[in-house]
Amino acid sequence: METALQGIEHAYERSGKGLVLTVSYSPAYFDRFDEDLPESVALPAPKALAPFEDPELDTPDAVVHLASNTAQVVLGAEESLKGNKSTLNGVEQPDTALTDVFEIVDRRTGFVGDGLPAENAGDAEGVPADKVPEDAPLFMGFKSGFKKNQASEDRVTIQSGPFAGGTTQHISKLQLNLNQWYNQDDRWQREAKMFCPYHAENDVIEGTGDNLGTSSKIDDCKPVDETAREMGVVGHSQKSAAARENDTPIILRRDFNSTDGGQAGLHFLALQRGIGDFEKTRKAMNGTDVSKQSAVGQRNNNGILQYIRTERRGNYLVPPRSLRALPPAQPATNAQEVTDASS
Amino acid sequence: MPGMNEQGGYKCALTYSFPHRFWLMKPSGITKVDIQSADSVHMMPIVWDAQTRIIPPDINPQLTITQDGESVDQFAPWPMLSQPMGFHFGDNAQLNGNGTYTVDVSIGGPSTRRTGSLAENQGDASFTFEFEFNQSTLDEISVTDLSEDKQGTKGAVDVMDMEMLPSSQVPKPDALPGDVRGTATSGDAKFVVTVLEDASRFGGTQDQVYLAVSPRTPYNRIMLPMMSLSGTLTRGGSSVFDGILQATIDPELRYHYGATVSDVQSGDELTITVDSPPQTARHEGYETAFVDMPSMTLTL
Repeated sequence: METALQGIEHAYERSGKGLVLTVSYSPAYFDRFDEDLPESVALPAPKALAPFEDPELDTPDAVVHLASNTAQVVLGAEESLKGNKSTLNGVEQPDTALTDVFEIVDRRTGFVGDGLPAENAGDAEGVPADKVPEDAPLFMGFKSGFKKNQASEDRVTIQSGPFAGGTTQHISKLQLNLNQWYNQDDRWQREAKMFCPYHAENDVIEGTGDNLGTSSKIDDCKPVDETAREMGVVGHSQKSAAARENDTPIILRRDFNSTDGGQAGLHFLALQRGIGDFEKTRKAMNGTDVSKQSAVGQRNNNGILQYIRTERRGNYLVPPRSLRALPPAQPATNAQEVTDASS
Repeated sequence: MPGMNEQGGYKCALTYSFPHRFWLMKPSGITKVDIQSADSVHMMPIVWDAQTRIIPPDINPQLTITQDGESVDQFAPWPMLSQPMGFHFGDNAQLNGNGTYTVDVSIGGPSTRRTGSLAENQGDASFTFEFEFNQSTLDEISVTDLSEDKQGTKGAVDVMDMEMLPSSQVPKPDALPGDVRGTATSGDAKFVVTVLEDASRFGGTQDQVYLAVSPRTPYNRIMLPMMSLSGTLTRGGSSVFDGILQATIDPELRYHYGATVSDVQSGDELTITVDSPPQTARHEGYETAFVDMPSMTLTL
């Protein structure tokens, strides 16, 4: 397995221009071992994370995530891992294929970046192609990966134990309803529900939100409970900010849009030190407390919950590089301890 | 109604009508939603608690429409108010023309405070309906009912017998439990105030009383959910209660807003403030009602 992975790594530099690769393993994989995972790894089985969702729970052994600024790089690397290429980008590939060890049970594809959603809108049912802004990086029309909305790599890195240096990964498959979003809601409602009513009321957002700079300026929004009571609507970013620690997010998002199955979707891939950090962030997004105490509904006017249906959820451990090929649940040698100021 | 589907303590019927225009709420007014050319039907899954026949507005159904296993449309219908249909969840769906479709309706857990037997009904159910869509039939009728057919005669479309469906009405004032102390009006809606001895069922103590406010449409007595209400109770010029009136679904009071207070005395003044009007979408006839809602004061 390591040989197969190194084959594609030798073909491209490790960057967005080249290829960014992770390998991760599920709780179902680690259940194959007699020993439990060390306590330093918080990797529970996936579960429903909202009272109104009923996702299928994913149990593949492993997930390989390939990302690049160039689609051909991802497709080439995939073929090489399947043993279908003798050379990749001019580099000779090993005889060993990942598929010698694994059977492929699922394949999820997608894109993120200015203009790509509009370009791909025609491939999915129910996407108002003329409404997705030409320059939007995501289907819902707004920038979302603001630098200050992301956890640092240190914050998501496992600090101790044999898997120190690794991280956990949550992958959900979300289906989007863009008909309601674009054809029924107006711009005010989209801004209020994605960010917060304050932003909509004060014309804070221009276009896709590039004018906001490195943060979604959530500090300017009023407290969530106050907005819920007085405006009857709360924003997605506004709610999610409650899951911060020391005013810093605790998950690192690598989500991307998709037209898999002819549906407008979002593969929400997030890295965090323990799965609990993701669950805490999602809980904040659910707005369960405000829906009990205000005009905000379970999904209606409750950020973007109205437009999202969770189809699948899965949890994984991304081990440190030294353990990335079929790691045991209790590796014998301790990897190096990681020091992190934010721990 | 033949073939009514029941699961997990809930029953569900799927109803539809021709596409409707409607309005979505926002703090500064309303947003008109026009009928799109691709809209085929206005689809309304009606879900109710099997025991009390209450339609809980806090459970947002999710609809998935398929044809021959292929996805056709999927959405979470909006909570809505309509004069003929009362409170319901609905939205215009886009089908692929005449033919047989499968509609899955799934519901999750509740999100509003519940009391009595309703508190035990945690939801998580799904219902499957099959129906034959025919444009010419739709043009002739106003509302068609679709219910899952246990007899296996697929595709039968019966004209809806509305009497078989539960209503989203709240009780007449004299049928409300407790001591009814008055009615106020704001933004066309009526707010009936009643006081119940023993607030223990509502999170209070036996010694406390429960102050309940039951808003409804003026003529049809349709519940008005998804408001932010708060109340101030004053006695001899000083405040004895000042806080939110929490939305609650109770088997007897049905959907209402309330708070526990130490007691309510004759001559107390209650001010009810509508911090947010009902955030339900509106069908024609309700687009301007229950929007601008000034505060009300009653002497109890």
